[in-house]
Amino acid sequence: MPTAPSLLECQRRFMAALYSPDACGPVEAIAGNGLEPAARLRIYRHSCEGNQISALRTSYPAVLALVGSAFFDQCARGYRREHASHSGNLQVFGGRFGDYLATVPQARELPYLPDVARLEWLRQRAVLAADAEALPSAAFERALAVQDRTLTLHPSVQCLASAYAVLTIFRYAMAPGEEGLQLPDTGENVLLWREDGEVAMAALDAASFACIEALARGATLVRSNTAARAIDPAFDQPACLGTLAQRGLIVGSVPNDNLRESVSCR
Amino acid sequence: MTNPVATGAGPMPVAAGIGLRAPHIMRVLAEHPSVAWLETHSENVFAAGGPFHDALGLIRRDYPLSLHGVGLSLGSADGLDAAHLNRLREVVHRYQPDLVSEHLCWGAVGGWHSNDLLPLPFTEEALRLVVARIGRVQDALGRQILVENVSTYLRFEGGDYTEWEFVAEAVRRSGCGLLCDVNNIYVNSVNHGFDPQVYLRAMPRSAIQEIHLAGFTRKDNLAVPLLIDSHSRRVAPDVWDLYADAIALFGPVPTLIEWDQDIPELEVLLDEAAHAEGVLDAHRALPA
Repeated sequence: MPTAPSLLECQRRFMAALYSPDACGPVEAIAGNGLEPAARLRIYRHSCEGNQISALRTSYPAVLALVGSAFFDQCARGYRREHASHSGNLQVFGGRFGDYLATVPQARELPYLPDVARLEWLRQRAVLAADAEALPSAAFERALAVQDRTLTLHPSVQCLASAYAVLTIFRYAMAPGEEGLQLPDTGENVLLWREDGEVAMAALDAASFACIEALARGATLVRSNTAARAIDPAFDQPACLGTLAQRGLIVGSVPNDNLRESVSCR
Repeated sequence: MTNPVATGAGPMPVAAGIGLRAPHIMRVLAEHPSVAWLETHSENVFAAGGPFHDALGLIRRDYPLSLHGVGLSLGSADGLDAAHLNRLREVVHRYQPDLVSEHLCWGAVGGWHSNDLLPLPFTEEALRLVVARIGRVQDALGRQILVENVSTYLRFEGGDYTEWEFVAEAVRRSGCGLLCDVNNIYVNSVNHGFDPQVYLRAMPRSAIQEIHLAGFTRKDNLAVPLLIDSHSRRVAPDVWDLYADAIALFGPVPTLIEWDQDIPELEVLLDEAAHAEGVLDAHRALPA
């Protein structure tokens, strides 16, 4: 009589079978009771797959709308086979779906699809990000005057630069108009943040985006201004950042000699 | 074995509650429906911030609350996810729920997660493991937790216990409370061919602090009957009967209606809760 596998061995093989139809799982340890042990394991594989696909559908409604259920689920199944879930919290499952879509040959007809997915993931990050109090306006004004400081942006702030009109496409996918979409032939630089509990998004001019993205990466005010002016010599940093401050999106200011690593943008 | 410290923030009302799900949050906030208590998945409040926290903070002021974990994986052979446990500790501290519960199952190994509730073998090895884990969680949280019996679609060969012995023994040895899912008992009785009354009678009465009810679906075209714990419809008549038996046996217990797929209008959940309330009322009226 074969020895029963240890609990650890049994669980490892069980888990492998949940992610791969080719893995047979600990079938010799499973009582069939009228069904093949493999058929009983399949019930769990479908359930696990169903939970994870459902999470991806929740996180990626625009991708789903653009490609339809059948192709979405096919991509979702492919994704979970390559990127197993590493958390018991499904809210963090699916962060690389955009990168995965870029590798799917059948998706090449929609070259913007990976960036739409990346935008949706940043929407999820924005909605789940920490809360933070806005920097008082006097402190913001002082920071602007000193310049050799970094600004801490609200944790919900996210940036995505795309070669495609990704925000326009997202909005169309979520609420298609009757006239169809005239796709702009330029890319869009999208800023995302949370406002009144919902994700807000705006396509920014290249200089403003460069400034905010640099700040989000931890650059000083001086450096972020330099990056923006390299694109637009007339860039008005106080006006750009004043808009952010009005929306409560500047939450801290740190002197340059005490720089923190801060990366919240792709 | 661990001797847990205090239980939750307050005694959960011995009445019917509903699972708080995303489609109903705005209505619960705006309309303040008449329901005795609410339960949410612990992982729903794992995010650092955002609107769900805002809503739950408001809701917590008005309703008794239970946090019900679906991802801790008490029965993983290679360890608990320390970050997950730490985040659970933080949200328990923040919301001071009246009850905190987890599942008597496993869901992860080697850093891979199934995001599902997977079956344990009913062996002494598995029992010792889950008892130690429950103790660790109770120590980390500084309070007693409840563990829930899960629906299963397979049994392992051999084993040292029946399922009901395993559940009762895990509760007895660890000193945790029991979240008795009556629907899961029914589903397993069909899937594995046992008398659910035997299971009910083996449950440690004094440890039962919550009951779960939900709807299942039937998987057709198989050689054997098989029910899936889908949480996608109303509680089945047979499960209501078993629930009435459970309340007759245990006395009235806080009871929750769960619904996670094809979520209907709030009224449907409230109607199911009213049905459970009727069963509780019938037994409240009886002399002790």
